[in-house]
Amino acid sequence: MNVFRDLRMGAGFAVTGGREGWTRTLLTAIGVGLGVALLLLTTAIPGALGARDDRGRGRDELSGRAQQAAENTLLIATIDTTYKGDDIRGRALRAEGPRAPVPPGLSRLPAPGEMMVSPALADLLASKRGALLKERLPYRTAGKIADRGLIGPDDLTFYLGSDALTGDSNTAVRVTAFGNDFPAEKLDPRLLLLVVVMFVVLLMPVAVLIATAVRFGGDRRDRRLAALRLVGADARTTRWIAAGEALAGSLFGLVLGLGFFLIGRQLTGAAAAFDLSIFPGDLDPSVPLVVLVVLAVPAAAVAVTLFALRSVVIEPLGVVRTGTPARRRVWWRLLLPVVGVALLFPLIRRGADAGEFNRFQVIGGTVLLLLGVTALLPWLVEAMVARLGAGRVSWQLAVRRLQLGSGAAARSVNGIAVAVAGAIALQMLFMGIEKDYVRDTGQDTARAQMSVSSSGSIGSDRVTEITDGIRRTKGVRSAFGHSGTRIGDRGDNPAEGATLTIGTCDALRELARIERCADGDAFIIEASGSSDRVVGEMRPTPGRQVVIDPAYGMIEGAAPSRTPWRIPAAAPTVPGRADAHGTRYDGVLATPGAVPAAARKLTYWMDVQIDPTVPDARDLVRNAAARVDPLSTVYDLSRTQESRRFANVRTALFIGTAVVLLLIGASLLVTMLEQLRERRKLLSVLVAFGTRRSTLSWSVLYQTAVPVALGLVLAAGTGMGLGAALLGMVGRPFTVDWTGMASMIGIGAGVVLLVTALSLPPLWRLMRPDGLRTE
Amino acid sequence: MTDALLSGHELHKTYGATPALAGAEFTIGAGEIVAIMGPSGSGKSTLLHCLAGIVRPDSGTIRYDGGDLTAMSDARRSALRRSDFGFVFQFGQLVPELTCLENVALPLRLNAVKRREAESKAREWMERLEVADLAGQRPGEISGGQGQRIAVARALVIRPRVVFADEPTGALDSLNGERVMKLLIEAARTTKAAVVLVTHEARIAAYSDREIVVRDGRSRDMARAA
Repeated sequence: MNVFRDLRMGAGFAVTGGREGWTRTLLTAIGVGLGVALLLLTTAIPGALGARDDRGRGRDELSGRAQQAAENTLLIATIDTTYKGDDIRGRALRAEGPRAPVPPGLSRLPAPGEMMVSPALADLLASKRGALLKERLPYRTAGKIADRGLIGPDDLTFYLGSDALTGDSNTAVRVTAFGNDFPAEKLDPRLLLLVVVMFVVLLMPVAVLIATAVRFGGDRRDRRLAALRLVGADARTTRWIAAGEALAGSLFGLVLGLGFFLIGRQLTGAAAAFDLSIFPGDLDPSVPLVVLVVLAVPAAAVAVTLFALRSVVIEPLGVVRTGTPARRRVWWRLLLPVVGVALLFPLIRRGADAGEFNRFQVIGGTVLLLLGVTALLPWLVEAMVARLGAGRVSWQLAVRRLQLGSGAAARSVNGIAVAVAGAIALQMLFMGIEKDYVRDTGQDTARAQMSVSSSGSIGSDRVTEITDGIRRTKGVRSAFGHSGTRIGDRGDNPAEGATLTIGTCDALRELARIERCADGDAFIIEASGSSDRVVGEMRPTPGRQVVIDPAYGMIEGAAPSRTPWRIPAAAPTVPGRADAHGTRYDGVLATPGAVPAAARKLTYWMDVQIDPTVPDARDLVRNAAARVDPLSTVYDLSRTQESRRFANVRTALFIGTAVVLLLIGASLLVTMLEQLRERRKLLSVLVAFGTRRSTLSWSVLYQTAVPVALGLVLAAGTGMGLGAALLGMVGRPFTVDWTGMASMIGIGAGVVLLVTALSLPPLWRLMRPDGLRTE
Repeated sequence: MTDALLSGHELHKTYGATPALAGAEFTIGAGEIVAIMGPSGSGKSTLLHCLAGIVRPDSGTIRYDGGDLTAMSDARRSALRRSDFGFVFQFGQLVPELTCLENVALPLRLNAVKRREAESKAREWMERLEVADLAGQRPGEISGGQGQRIAVARALVIRPRVVFADEPTGALDSLNGERVMKLLIEAARTTKAAVVLVTHEARIAAYSDREIVVRDGRSRDMARAA
């Protein structure tokens, strides 16, 4: 077959063309390699997240619950903590029999007082940074948790052996096995839409990048092919030889891409960026996908080269780009986005009720819309630069160059335009559905910044002791502790009762407007129409006989321990106020002396105000809480709370966009350097005339900036269009995220400036008179 | 010979380990036409680049109009090339994206002359060099001989005091070469510009008033017999 012979010959030229040939092949291989690596990494992410999720579910304690202690039961209490902003998963364990289950990743259960830790936590504890954490977890490390018990290499997890856990405690659960039998939570269709579009948006520029990379050095190669025409090769042969060269570059690119992927995989394992650590082994792209990439990339290289050469006539004495290229037609270019919109339009309002989307329709519509950008941009650049007049010399040089041939410039910018268009659309979608995922907690962070609580039943004296312990901690301004439960007429159905909250006078003043108060006093909070806490049917009144039932609803099968109590007859009615959590209390407030001692063993919670000027104040509070009540839970108060999944998707978008734009910037730089190298002699001549450096530098900037500016305008329009369609799909009104749009356009423009800045030193080097030497 | 407008004394220049100039001497008076001859690789183009202030010699002095060119800053030498020197190279080296008219006007525009005025002057020179009809064409659309005439017009448009021509006919057939040389010399005589002409062809050198032969980086003045 002649075609195969020509391809083989072309491939041979790719590696035998001397230093220049090698350089060109290497550039193509690097460009293709980066694209391939990104394709493999991106497509491996869903599998990696699935593997993470599976291991996370495997160590849950949600299956195998047991009521009674047996030889195969284990008590588990959650003792999660946070250290310097990093979440640490902690579980206290106590075996109730010899066959108690062992958590995944452990060879045995830790003995009381010892703990098994993840490698990342072991490193943290051993480091200087972990000194305060070492105080909080002063236990002996008896071993490390193996990978199968961790969700990622940076997972901070520990299991603590404890003999303090009891089966009747509210804090511990009893299990016979680890795992989670509940079906995995399905991704919200709106988030799914976001993820699907994100993949399309991030992968499209990669495809554009690969297409650009196989054309690296194309002009120079075409000229060299003219020599082949001189010795008798026909036009068709030279095209296939050119395709063969591109094919060789793309095959090297595949190999490099695999290498980059393996390096990237290891780096992903080493980096703890963005709260998403992944074991290298989890990043395992599916075999069909790898096969698809291996076949599609070389095929695309050949197709792109043949397509690009259709307007080039390689004559024996040189290369002629069809003198006056046919004016680009706009109709078929417009057809792409029109069909894209037609595909997306029927989906509008389908997601208003969180309904399902046809994924293929979404992908098809989005791909066509974004392809529309790549198709329209060359036409737009050509049409616009044809209207630009000559101004200063630098501007004239840039504009005339673009007028002579804007295809290469538009090709380079296509990647940026697609990435920015997609990112703008995604930003709009993010903003549209953000409110659904970012919840206003109602917490007043001016009054308290942290909360300490425990499900364990302890006496009110102990609550006072714990509160004092926290209050004395360095960096704590104030701490108010409360304990509480439900009261009712009979105690059978506490839902029909009222809330009883116990605390010192100061603590109670945080919940109601109380003037005079002494131990032994009780207060009835004025009933309000809107209450966060359900009061139920019972309206407390002074002197009313009730029962206190602290065990209600806390421990399955636990025997009720009801204590009769008469609400003090002198209890005044006081207006309530919301606490730092934004919770407005109803029911009865009582000082410890007003409640029988037998009924004071209750769960507690405490609001802590810290001094932000004290370094590590939050960790000092956590250490104090761990010291005074190891089973307590400490968390930070925040005005808003963002859905973790939503936050993860947003993080992934930022990482993806940044990586893609950097790659495109690299491709732009290579294209620019290649152009400069080709014009080396001309640059030297211009220097001979006395042309200033600044004139040529500005010219380079304009030459990049004009197509990029047009690309960004087109991207903004398309992005808004796609954004409007996506918002329509989830039933949200059209709103433009101007900040997001400005930042995306700014990033795109930044890439141009960066590319220009990086191409200046080689430009200045090429402006040396060496280029004039011919001998 | 009249007083020297441009002179080089004891010029040395090495590229890596290769000596290009090894004590070359050169002088040219105002309006004089001097041919630098020599075989390939003898250092004649390097001598031209040094004299034009494009390349700084490793040692030796170059004086132009009473000033020391070798002591001037790069910016000053660039400014001098913009205002006083014109260049013609072997392959024309026109800027491919600019029209012929814009190419000829380019040196004026680099000297901050307004576009309209620059293009008007460029048009005059194109008429003198018989290429006015090519004003709207791009370099890729014209022949080599036409391109060289455009290059000559570009070199002369600023009315330089010295024109540096490096193998200006090297890429042309003899007929076109003769025509370009005639036009160049005629224009230079009219404007009283000195011409430093690098060539290895005796018939081209014959247009000069004086010849300097360069061999192994050293020069030898071959005063033409009257």
